[in-house]
Amino acid sequence: MSAFLARNRLIVLAYAGMLALLLVTALFSPGFLSVSNMRSTVVLAAFVGIVALGQTFVIIGGGIDLSVPWVLNSAAIIMALLCGGQDLPLVWVMPLLLAGGAFIGLINGIGVAQFGVPPIIMTLATNVILQGLILVLTGGSPTPSAPALIQFLSVGRLSGFPVIALIWLALTLVATLLLSKAAFGRHLYALGTSATVAEFSGVPTARTTILTYVISGLTAAFAGMLLTGYSGQAYLGMGDAYLFTSIAAVAIGGASILGGSGHYLGTVAGAMVLTILTGLLPALNLSSGALLIVYGAVILLTVSIGSETFAGLGGRLRRKEG
Amino acid sequence: MVMSVQQTVQMAQRPAKTKPTKPAIDWRGRLLDRAPFLVACLMLALIVGIYGSLQSGVFSLDELNLDTAAAMTLMLAATGQTIVLLRGGIDLSIGGMISLGTVIAATRFTDDASTTALWALIILALGFLIGALNGLLISLLKLQPFLVTLATWSILNGIAMIILPTDGGSIPSWWVGFASAQLLGLTSPVWMLLALLLFWWWFRATRVGIAIQATGSNEKSAFLSGVSIARVNLVTYGLSGLFAAGAALFLVTQTGAGSPTIGKDYILPSVAAAVIGGVSLFGGRGHLAGTLIGAFVLTLIGNLVFVLHVSSYWQPVASGVILLLSVLASSVAEKAARNRAQ
Amino acid sequence: MDLVTVNGLSKRYGGIVALSEATFSARAGEVHALLGENGAGKSTFIQILSGAVQHDGGSIVVDGQDYRPANPDAAQARGIAAVFQELSLIPDLSVEQNIWFRHEPRTWLGTVNRTQMRLKTLALLEKYNFPALRPDQELRRLTLAERQIVEIAKGLAKDPRILILDEATSALPAREAEWLLNLTRQLAAEGRLVIFISHRMAEVRAIADRLTIFRNGSTVAAHEADAVSDNEIVTQMIGRHLDRLYPERVSTATDRIALGVKGFSSGSRLSGVDFALREGEVLGVGGLQGHGQRELFQALFGATKASGSIELWGKPVSIGNPRQALTGKDGIALVPEDRRGQGLLLTKSVRENLTLSVIKRFTENGLLSRQKEAALVKEMVDFLRIKAGTPEQLAGTLSGGNQQKVIFGKMLLTQARVLLLYDPTRGVDVGTKGEIFQLMRDLAAKGYAILFHSSDMPELVHVADRVLVMRNGRIAATLEGVHISEEEILRAAMLETRAA
Repeated sequence: MSAFLARNRLIVLAYAGMLALLLVTALFSPGFLSVSNMRSTVVLAAFVGIVALGQTFVIIGGGIDLSVPWVLNSAAIIMALLCGGQDLPLVWVMPLLLAGGAFIGLINGIGVAQFGVPPIIMTLATNVILQGLILVLTGGSPTPSAPALIQFLSVGRLSGFPVIALIWLALTLVATLLLSKAAFGRHLYALGTSATVAEFSGVPTARTTILTYVISGLTAAFAGMLLTGYSGQAYLGMGDAYLFTSIAAVAIGGASILGGSGHYLGTVAGAMVLTILTGLLPALNLSSGALLIVYGAVILLTVSIGSETFAGLGGRLRRKEG
Repeated sequence: MVMSVQQTVQMAQRPAKTKPTKPAIDWRGRLLDRAPFLVACLMLALIVGIYGSLQSGVFSLDELNLDTAAAMTLMLAATGQTIVLLRGGIDLSIGGMISLGTVIAATRFTDDASTTALWALIILALGFLIGALNGLLISLLKLQPFLVTLATWSILNGIAMIILPTDGGSIPSWWVGFASAQLLGLTSPVWMLLALLLFWWWFRATRVGIAIQATGSNEKSAFLSGVSIARVNLVTYGLSGLFAAGAALFLVTQTGAGSPTIGKDYILPSVAAAVIGGVSLFGGRGHLAGTLIGAFVLTLIGNLVFVLHVSSYWQPVASGVILLLSVLASSVAEKAARNRAQ
Repeated sequence: MDLVTVNGLSKRYGGIVALSEATFSARAGEVHALLGENGAGKSTFIQILSGAVQHDGGSIVVDGQDYRPANPDAAQARGIAAVFQELSLIPDLSVEQNIWFRHEPRTWLGTVNRTQMRLKTLALLEKYNFPALRPDQELRRLTLAERQIVEIAKGLAKDPRILILDEATSALPAREAEWLLNLTRQLAAEGRLVIFISHRMAEVRAIADRLTIFRNGSTVAAHEADAVSDNEIVTQMIGRHLDRLYPERVSTATDRIALGVKGFSSGSRLSGVDFALREGEVLGVGGLQGHGQRELFQALFGATKASGSIELWGKPVSIGNPRQALTGKDGIALVPEDRRGQGLLLTKSVRENLTLSVIKRFTENGLLSRQKEAALVKEMVDFLRIKAGTPEQLAGTLSGGNQQKVIFGKMLLTQARVLLLYDPTRGVDVGTKGEIFQLMRDLAAKGYAILFHSSDMPELVHVADRVLVMRNGRIAATLEGVHISEEEILRAAMLETRAA
């Protein structure tokens, strides 16, 4: 047990931070811990959490995905356009758009793994290209409202539980299995720790890299469709905020931006922390500017704690060298 | 008959006259080194060529003045970014600094020249200090520049929103007029462009400039050679913040107002301009001339899309494709160079 | 009057004593050789002298004054410069920028005075008769040997009174190595002190006036060079008789060919290599450094591209990447040259490292079975006697020898029976070295086929059944039986080609 704590110190810390934050919030606004409020907090956190799922995989593998905003936005807008408010087309539209998200991820992954394009540049480029294409497609005008079925997925309830929370739970389970219980997870951590060592150990490095971007494309597209259901409509720029929050959630969850460490369970806590903060500040009568300041401070704080452990480890490594 | 080791060594080391013949200059290698920069030049020539053939009066001083003014904010931001990239880092906080700079200017600048000048200096100093703080955090806590500057971007952006929640404020007209002031037929942005190049020519040849490049090229070697990495980070990110503040001061001449959100439009384009111009994301390689050309390319695509009479929404598509093409070109050149080295 | 006097010098890294009670003295105008095995304390000693690390105890007196540099700059200010094996050069700067880095001559604008820098460079290169170098060439275009020469120039540019050369000849071709040996004499004649580390006895004999021998973190003896025999030096370096390090060599090679290589070429470093490695054989690969050994091992493992044919256990195969090499029972496994950069995930556990290549084997329905994994990990840890607290200990916190054992374990778990061992004992303590050699013999007896390169020639001589000697990317000779000796290897590596 203590070994588990030591190994996952940062993740445990992220949860401790989340709980502390909940308590503080409860002190300032007693209504915050009410069932309905917690429910809406979890729903909002789920969108961040789902986008950050793919981002977690990409970052553990040593990359970064900046194409998240417009993959999300494209899926949302195309879905609204293709369905025209009807449920039936969703049967083929959802798989199609998930495949589309995966395809963008595939392009990102191939660019990074096969052509050696730096991840920042590769995903930045696909992001602006998608942005332009969607703008050309829609002419910048708003789209029809979201189908009822997708609204059910994002705001509906199953015996009191928000459907999206259940979806998030299921995805968390899958991600945890992939990271902790599958050969893919082992390969991914090895790749993020040292691509050379992974290659020399027979890890399929290119395939693993590409897969992380594919997962990120999938989750971003999925989140885009769900978010359309939540807001009832798809609109341009709805994904913009998720670039920052997805990376922030991963960082607060204890992953190193250099890759090789972290876990989706940490990201879940990170997504919660970010969302609770969003709810806390209005309670304290603080502006959205203050929220951004707090976000920045929280990121700095968590990465500083993380860096301390690395510095400690580095010290141990260095001592052995002599 | 077995010889002793010593005899063997002596035989192998027959007195060798070291011949002072000069090896030939490796032209192909040098060409490959500069391939990304040359590709950027080619793109710019192509864009200007098409633009010029569709629109009259492109090859005039007026057009140069106009385009340089349009590109100058990005150029200033990208100059700081180029220094950071040369160091092997990245600075996302310039977005926050630019926003902060514009809102301070929009709320503090007055018609009184001395007050305004004082606040302009304060903004520049703030830019350097905040950047230096980034550098300090990165070296003292051994943090990743990406996350540190992401966090400071958020914080600066928040401060800007508190100072001025929405776009607005006012910029005195004489400050706005600065961007169209002329000397010898060239407006001040063109002179600033020349000043930037002059600065680079000087900076790159100073010991500090060389130390920054060296640290980006190989941090460990630089450290072993006695470079203080902490000081390098301080200067690198400080300069980046300074140029971001400069970008803000120029930007308000174009917008005439402050905006707490405008800065984010310059974060990734500043990286893109540098990368298109052949600056390596891995540090140690690149020139400001390339970055400036990259900034021109990104700016002129807008003009091109306009004269082609297609939807302006094609502009981001075109810039993304150009970005990818130039990175691919440099990666191909890199591979070719490496194959030659072997 | 001694220029440098060192007394009772000590340095600890955590619980490990790197240097204890070392003494040393050297005069101006001499070439002073430091001898000792890897890990004997030489490196720590010169790191302290050059200001890269600081000592815990003892004293250093330079020129009658106490000396305790806080960093390399402070050392240089006292006239001490070092040329380390780990080069301190900047790939993206030119040769002359590297030589004068941080000490560039400047103009009134604070910029580098290029003209003066060029003149100073040419003067320096001419004064010490440097091999041809283009001052304006970018460093990353240079070969390893050329970089080593630039590093030497960089050291000399500081006009040091004491120059430390750490195995500076090991990367140099014969002609340049000879130049360097002459250079050390020239520097000594100028009244400087040259502290010279080399594993090549012939070089030490050729240039050293005096020598100091290190063992297990202390100095064991200092001699006038001409007052001591090679055998005495070796005995003092090792502290016990040589033979006990090496297991008895009983050839277990069969006639069956495990790895047949024909016309194997890769880039300009490997051209047309043919050889056959037999089942149960330990086949050594020797020669001077940089003659294609590295490229041969990497290309066989699929880490670099190569042409030519490979037959594994009689079947032709093509290996495009390490993954293909490691696949299946008839695979090829490698103990890579760079333990920390290619072999181990330093921030991951022993368990994760051991099973990385074979993790798929522990999955059932796509999910890992921790029990299965743990059982095999325990078996391997016991078999190799890996000294780790638990299998969860991070690989980076192990000693060099135990790290190497983890890499061996990782390789053995793959079930590949053709093993490529590239310098497996480098930076490994003597005890583990013996264990590794014994393991190699045991594996050979079990029918493994082992290709073995060592930068330490005696290892090849004492462990390999046959030795391939490489020169200019080809097999220059194949030595067998009584012909395997350091002299023969050197001769084949440097002189005439013999029929294989």
